[in-house]
Amino acid sequence: MIRSLLLSLTLLCAAPLASAQNAPAVALPKVKLFTTGGTIQSKGAHRQKLMEYSDGKVGPAELIADLPELKDIADVSYTEISNVGSPSVNTEIQLRLAKEINAWLALPDSAGAVVTHGTATLEETAFFLNLVVKSDKPVVVVGAMRPFTAVSRDGPFNLYNAVRTAASPTSRGMGVLIVLNDEINAARDTTKSNTYRMETFVARDLGPLGYTDSDQIVYYRKPTYRHTTRSEFDVSTLTTLPRVDVTYDYQEQDGTAIDAFVAAGAKGLVLTGSNADAVKRAQAKGVLIVNSDRKGAGRVVESAKGASQNRISADNLPPQKARILLRLALTRTQDPKEIQRMFNEY
Amino acid sequence: MTSVAYHRCIAAACWLLLAPVAHAQEIPTYAPPPPIPADTQALPTIVLMSMGGTIASRGTPRLNITNYGGKGVPRVDPQDWVHDLPELAGIANVIIEDQRAPQDRTSSETHEDFARVAKRLNQLAADPRIAGIVVTHGTNTMAETAYYMNLTVNTDKPIVFVGSQRPWTGLSGDGPRNLYDAVRVAASPEARGKGVLHAMNQFINTARDVDKTSAYRVNTFKGVDVGAIGFADPDRVRFYREPVRRHTTQSEFAGKDYSSLPPVEVAYAYRDAPGYLIDAMVAHGAKGIVVEGTGAGSATSSQTEAIKRAQASGVVVVMTARTDGGRVQDTPRRREALIVPGDNLKPEKARILLQLALTQSSDLANVTRIFNEY
Repeated sequence: MIRSLLLSLTLLCAAPLASAQNAPAVALPKVKLFTTGGTIQSKGAHRQKLMEYSDGKVGPAELIADLPELKDIADVSYTEISNVGSPSVNTEIQLRLAKEINAWLALPDSAGAVVTHGTATLEETAFFLNLVVKSDKPVVVVGAMRPFTAVSRDGPFNLYNAVRTAASPTSRGMGVLIVLNDEINAARDTTKSNTYRMETFVARDLGPLGYTDSDQIVYYRKPTYRHTTRSEFDVSTLTTLPRVDVTYDYQEQDGTAIDAFVAAGAKGLVLTGSNADAVKRAQAKGVLIVNSDRKGAGRVVESAKGASQNRISADNLPPQKARILLRLALTRTQDPKEIQRMFNEY
Repeated sequence: MTSVAYHRCIAAACWLLLAPVAHAQEIPTYAPPPPIPADTQALPTIVLMSMGGTIASRGTPRLNITNYGGKGVPRVDPQDWVHDLPELAGIANVIIEDQRAPQDRTSSETHEDFARVAKRLNQLAADPRIAGIVVTHGTNTMAETAYYMNLTVNTDKPIVFVGSQRPWTGLSGDGPRNLYDAVRVAASPEARGKGVLHAMNQFINTARDVDKTSAYRVNTFKGVDVGAIGFADPDRVRFYREPVRRHTTQSEFAGKDYSSLPPVEVAYAYRDAPGYLIDAMVAHGAKGIVVEGTGAGSATSSQTEAIKRAQASGVVVVMTARTDGGRVQDTPRRREALIVPGDNLKPEKARILLQLALTQSSDLANVTRIFNEY
């Protein structure tokens, strides 16, 4: 029984080799593309232009029309959320995106969702969705390192593989996924590690969950931290999220930034180091403190000392992701112990 | 006299007494041991099984981290580990068991040893009093042994392979910390159901995917491409992933006693690699051949001719890739050539899986299914 199920899943995943000529006998899986913009939707003035390519934008219809091979693997529709670079993606866009995706996946005949996004903050939106999407159906975030107009652009194959991944039943229950460069990565653990290379998205130490190879969508790993259907966070009625800021640590960091963020109304701060006096001043005003790290790998361990100072350990989340989780945590509680539990579970 | 200085004095006196037998030097003797709970019965019972290895080796002087061991050199017995690591008593009831091969050398281990240990692991895991098992092993082939156990031991309980890159007595030896962490992982309820694990250098890896990547560095074991699944950090053992390929309780090979396995050999591909080595493997009775191909999994034309001859006499051929990363894919051309894609397995692991597959049949569809599922 299990064996035949696995076999049939394998056959389903092997679709691309069969492709094109044979018209599909059964209805194709319905995948909706939610576009937010980014390099994958940007045009440069000439095809060697790999930077400062702000010479035009590509909308979802053009993106889909550019990739007729999608017709063989999925019934693709789209919703345009925004068309901005990832530095401009804000809370309003993220909340709208999450609500639209939840509405789509709640439909009984939807198979999955694909989100286009600029790569600079892609991992933040992906992790946010990982915590607030209320479905087991695949949600795949995709981008490109080279613009729509470039020679050897990576966008089309990334998008094709993202749709394949979203259409694959084996992707269910894996949490929100990031697909670029033939790799399937977990939203929680993946970070952009290089400014221009195409192998930029990596889950340091932990590696990808699988691959979008030509013969099949293949998985080796399943994430164990809580996500999507096992998440306690709900943004369905929210229109904004608490302000949380990040400070970077370096020699002689004197706490000026911490004081300034508190003055600006931050409800929580994610630190990569500590300035004890400024932290105490912030905590006196009710600001929650999370300790992350600037190294990019490894955990901030929990210690009795940290707990006694009401400092929350970010586990192995980088500051920008600890910020996302702290914002959502603050929609539920102000209790540092309870928030530490959330950082241990998500 | 401060308490630290006092403990240092005691430690120095201990060293004088123990001088003839070199125990691990790098455990800070001035640190208080972790508290041992009043009710030690409440601690999980962990079997510490020795299959030997560098972690069970002594070298003198302590800077000797390359030329240790050898005939006539005293080994580290399992009870020495427990003696050197009193901290173990704070985390588990440790039961020791010696399963070293007669020469205590990984390279001298044979299938007989694996079959014996697999049988024993199945027995131990079935004992309700036992929470987990740690197995020490030489690092050169421990990934293969761990993978064999991953496929043949029928249990949800953690089985954790551990070794060291430096001998137990080496300066800055990694063995003591690795062993302590392996026991912590084996005692962790979260480690259950994740297949046979590997724990060294504070990383937790899966038996299927872990590989030795450096001859001497202590950061040698990696899940190439797919990464570690967790960490044994100072505060706690943490898991981030579970493997999705079939193993242990979901393995169709688990709990069976394989006293012998069909012979399977490995042929390496390189420019001008001849076919006669493959012919010789067949002539010597190989029932399967794993070809470690170039690039995405290619053999030379002479090897390809020899592969056809081998297949004509009923030998099953699996293709892996020497790229140390990435998969050998299922392509129409490969299907036509009746070559089974080895997925992303290293050839030495593909060999073990093919040996087990061939105990069922030489049916290519079945062997292909097995390589897709395990």
